[in-house]
Amino acid sequence: MSVDVVVNENDLAEMVEQVWVSYLDPQGVSPLIPNYDADQPTEVHSSVSITGSWTGHVVYASSTVAARRAAAAFLAMEADEVSPEDLSDVLGELANIVGGNVKAMLPSGAMLSLPQVVLAPQTATKYPNAERVTGLYGVWDGEPVSVSMWQSRNDVKKEESA
Amino acid sequence: MKILIADDSRVMRQIVTRTLRQAGFGDHDLVEAADGKQALDMTTAENPDLVISDWNMPELTGIEVLRKLRAAGNDVKFGFVTSECTPEMMQQAESSGSAFFIVKPFTADRFDEVFSPILG
Repeated sequence: MSVDVVVNENDLAEMVEQVWVSYLDPQGVSPLIPNYDADQPTEVHSSVSITGSWTGHVVYASSTVAARRAAAAFLAMEADEVSPEDLSDVLGELANIVGGNVKAMLPSGAMLSLPQVVLAPQTATKYPNAERVTGLYGVWDGEPVSVSMWQSRNDVKKEESA
Repeated sequence: MKILIADDSRVMRQIVTRTLRQAGFGDHDLVEAADGKQALDMTTAENPDLVISDWNMPELTGIEVLRKLRAAGNDVKFGFVTSECTPEMMQQAESSGSAFFIVKPFTADRFDEVFSPILG
């Protein structure tokens, strides 16, 4: 059984705000500011897959500068000290946190994969048979950051024929 | 007190450690496990007073670790720090003897609230 997407842009914004308040901007001085630009370029991305009651992917994408800044905040170090491994680990954790929060909003029976990290623009990854169903796009200190959800087309078709 | 932090993410182990410090629990002896199997082995071998575990880990999931410990008669204080939080998971955790359930992202205040009664 498959369900319509029950997570919308406002839900993603709430999750992202929690991540910012907890780890990336605890002082509340540089939040992620929505710009609704789904076509803004990104340089790195990470994702988790969800299967079961909803099937698809949750993708976190940003510029390298924003990823480096996130890694520095997560690991309490300076941005120029961030190693490629730090960058990958933090990107994976960001996808994992948002994906876990998305899963919690889905009907029971959803399973979350371990995160995948790609140090290339989000456009470099094609999610076969999946289409974007919602997304939060914005800038963090002028740098692009986005969280989007891609639902399996098989899932979408099942809903249409239901 | 000895605290075992079990998470396959190095970043998250670091953040849990830092948040414990920020919440005033930095003086405890902190040890780390990088997957479920290691968490089970280290809990048995090192006898920590508290296990703070991720749910979704390679080798063994956090709930599998907890169930194996309880099945072996180990009643260490054990709880979860996870990005996934469904009613089913919370129910499974509670019925298996979990002492707490913390959802990522978390703050030092949340750690204080949960761990003060346990760590004093």
